[in-house]
Amino acid sequence: MDQKYIRNFCIIAHIDHGKSTLADRILEMTDTVKERDMKTQLLDDMDLERERGITIKLNAVQLSYHAKDGHEYLFNLIDTPGHVDFSYEVSRSLAACEGAILVVDSTQGVQAQTLANTYLALDNDLEIIPVINKVDMNNSQPDVTIREIEDIIGLDCSEAPLISARTGLNVDQVLEQVVTHIPAPQGDKNAPLQALVFDSFYDPYRGVIALVRVREGSLKVGDRIRFMATGAEYEVLETGIRNPREVRVDGLSAGDVGWFAASIKSIKHVRVGDTVTSVSKPASEPLAGYRRMNPMVYCGLYPSDAARYEDLHDALDKLQLNDASLQYEPETSQALGFGFRCGVLGLLHMDVIQERLEREYNLDLICTAPSVIYHVYLSDGSMMAIDNPAKMPDASRIDHVEEPYVKASIMVPDSYIGAVMDLCQNKRGIYQNMEVIDAGRNMIIYELPLSEIIYDFFDRLKSCSKGYASLDYELVGYRKEDLVRMDILLNGEQVDALSVIVHRSNAYKRGSGITIRLKELIPKQQFEIPVQAAVGGKVIARTNIKSLRKNVLAKCYGGDISRKKKLLEKQKEGKKRMKEVGSVVIPQEAFMSVLSREDEPK
Amino acid sequence: MNQNKKPQALYVHVPFCRSICFYCDFCHRFYQEKEADAWLQALQKEILHYFVNPELRTVYIGGGTPTALSAAQLDSLLRLLDPYTKNVREYTIEINPETLDENKASILAEHGISRASIGLQTADDKLLRKIGRHHTSADVAEAVRLLKDHGIDNISLDLMYSLPDQNMASLRESIRFALSLQPKHLSLYSLTVEENTVFGRKGITPLDEDTEADMYEEICRILPQAGYRQYEISNFALPGYESLHNLVYWHYEDFYGLSAGASGMEDHCRYDKPSNLSEYLNDPLKRDVIPLSKEDEMFETVMMGLRLKDGIFLQDFQNRFGMSFSQAFGAPAEKLLDEGKLQITDGKLKCADAYYHLLNSVLSDLLPV
Repeated sequence: MDQKYIRNFCIIAHIDHGKSTLADRILEMTDTVKERDMKTQLLDDMDLERERGITIKLNAVQLSYHAKDGHEYLFNLIDTPGHVDFSYEVSRSLAACEGAILVVDSTQGVQAQTLANTYLALDNDLEIIPVINKVDMNNSQPDVTIREIEDIIGLDCSEAPLISARTGLNVDQVLEQVVTHIPAPQGDKNAPLQALVFDSFYDPYRGVIALVRVREGSLKVGDRIRFMATGAEYEVLETGIRNPREVRVDGLSAGDVGWFAASIKSIKHVRVGDTVTSVSKPASEPLAGYRRMNPMVYCGLYPSDAARYEDLHDALDKLQLNDASLQYEPETSQALGFGFRCGVLGLLHMDVIQERLEREYNLDLICTAPSVIYHVYLSDGSMMAIDNPAKMPDASRIDHVEEPYVKASIMVPDSYIGAVMDLCQNKRGIYQNMEVIDAGRNMIIYELPLSEIIYDFFDRLKSCSKGYASLDYELVGYRKEDLVRMDILLNGEQVDALSVIVHRSNAYKRGSGITIRLKELIPKQQFEIPVQAAVGGKVIARTNIKSLRKNVLAKCYGGDISRKKKLLEKQKEGKKRMKEVGSVVIPQEAFMSVLSREDEPK
Repeated sequence: MNQNKKPQALYVHVPFCRSICFYCDFCHRFYQEKEADAWLQALQKEILHYFVNPELRTVYIGGGTPTALSAAQLDSLLRLLDPYTKNVREYTIEINPETLDENKASILAEHGISRASIGLQTADDKLLRKIGRHHTSADVAEAVRLLKDHGIDNISLDLMYSLPDQNMASLRESIRFALSLQPKHLSLYSLTVEENTVFGRKGITPLDEDTEADMYEEICRILPQAGYRQYEISNFALPGYESLHNLVYWHYEDFYGLSAGASGMEDHCRYDKPSNLSEYLNDPLKRDVIPLSKEDEMFETVMMGLRLKDGIFLQDFQNRFGMSFSQAFGAPAEKLLDEGKLQITDGKLKCADAYYHLLNSVLSDLLPV
């Protein structure tokens, strides 16, 4: 197809502003998806995404649209995630587009990630089409929303469609604006091939499948190609697009978005952000990749069944293909055996990774509480970067410790300023600034320890503001703090996977909170188990898990066998997600409980 | 062992009750005369179809409430079974005290009933009402007298503990009362609240685990002193009066199951009869059959057998499955033996005394992953 009839765009928005719903409508209205194939949130094809109603992976779909100018256009729509954890995915999708539809929920107005994502799009030179969503809702305020977009972001909204993605109202205007406002891709079909790999995944039959945006030249079945960063060479076996099912095509050329398979068995050869070129007529330079996002949060992942370590390794290799922001390296825990320390973008990301590993690779995993990277300066002047609290050296060797801080931008209506500031103070936040954005709305800036916001900060923020506050944050550097390692002892034995680094002033409260949580979570066993929290070898909190005294079926006769056996199997199934550490069986949730930021014991 | 032989035990379920106990999730229906008549006809069909020269040693009529039937219907039921019960060694019927009378007692005796299991539950009349029972402890004494008058003196009493508001004194009094009736056998069950019961729907919970454990310990202390040996988790008997029929289950031997809500086990299969009465009446021959793999049978043999104080004869296990217990369960079995949770003495595999009341924990270690 002639390039001038191609449009590559994505949809960006704050979480829950209606991106995926709009994508569904666009898919329907372009006749791409037959009505009977329509599932809600079609682009969210991971079970996990549909269950949680969020978008995790970006997804590229080709649609054909018959525009009012009488021409047939080819749209490549790339869906993007909205949660703050996944902004890396957003920047990847932006690199494959010329334009972006910015969806703003008119019942909520501009939110923190509306800003963050718009700035990302502007950085990538994308044309932005603002769209005002949810105008069918009673509490919709399109005028206010438009004014906010114009005032805060500086985008002209005079032509912004007022839509309801849910009902389809005015979505046709959005499609027309894609044609009229977003530029057609440029690039020479005859130039040497340059295709940007913006995603990849592993197919057990066909090897690694790479998703690409072709910038220059063309890519056909039978071509020999080279990945410019890794140097790996392959012969292209299949090329295709998704609509959203996979459809094979003969080739892809400048301006196209699609995928290719080349029987690539080595996962390491395909890097997201790399450029693919042709072996016979190579490009002189790779395309500019994009900023690699560094993980902010680290946690340990261990197979419940030690024998499945290699399976976990393999699964992580494959998952990384599909999720370049995931990093991992082997580690060993006295309590948990062989596993991996994984770097992730945030708690939700970690949750998603764990669930995908368990579902897609049929693993049972133990995940330890996430930790940030602490900079520990030793008395000899050297610095250790500690991503696992258990590795923190003995206090006698430490000169001082620094922890990462973020600049958190919180957008909040007047009436919740007090509650939000209280929350930030409680989380050891340092007030920076507050700006009035427009009537009734404010941007509060705090510097907060990253460790304080990775767990439940977002949820607490939402609940203390009745859902009105929104958050965006970026790392701003390290600060010296009075931090100590707190160890947890079960039945007298230190469990390294439960160690946590805490601020000294909070140690006592946290210690008693954690021991009580553990008491609730660890099932009674056949003996009494003391649970202790200790700092520097000194016990600061203690409780006991009483012993299990009776666990037997009262009645078990001939007619009960099936049912009672199922009961036992259920008990056994529960144990799968537990880990035997020394003599104590610990459930998965217990490893996360050290994070529980309810500072008072529950 | 009776492998490849016909089952020697029969269970017949009578799915009718005159009132519903709050803790009960067995198959039951309010008694209606016409429906019970139809049920007797269905049962006859089932017996004629499935019973070709059975060689029964034990028969157990349970429910529901067998004595919820009218005297005439009870007579018909026992008449249907007469051809098969002449030579049985134990012929048990469950009895609810307020539905037994002189007439029914004499019918039971005529047909050769040799053992009666009576639901006492507790001697506290207030508590009885609270758990949905419609009799008093005096009614139980009266039922025992009636049965003994008709020569049925192998009597077992059912008691419950960990009931809402029950305390240790009340439990002790119930045991004292039960012993005063001089039963041959006692079953003591802790309350399990099942979803599909009045208690389950009302959100009633049993007493806390500590109290329940205290009560269980007290039971296991008092009854042996009175001469009742604990031979199973919840069952106690004077020497020689262990329930032969129930031992069939715990020895994991085959048994027939007849009527709605019953289960049976024959020839490496377990089957469930429809639990819905209408479904049963429509097709009395219907069975949902679950084939049992060798692994199923090995585990279930252990699951049932370890409930017995005497445990499992390892030679029987070997003969039945062609491999030893250790071969069958491998490392988890070795571990349990090493830890002393399981013990082997005199060729018998037993759950150690200290872990007997924690049998579920032991069994779940033996379940295949």
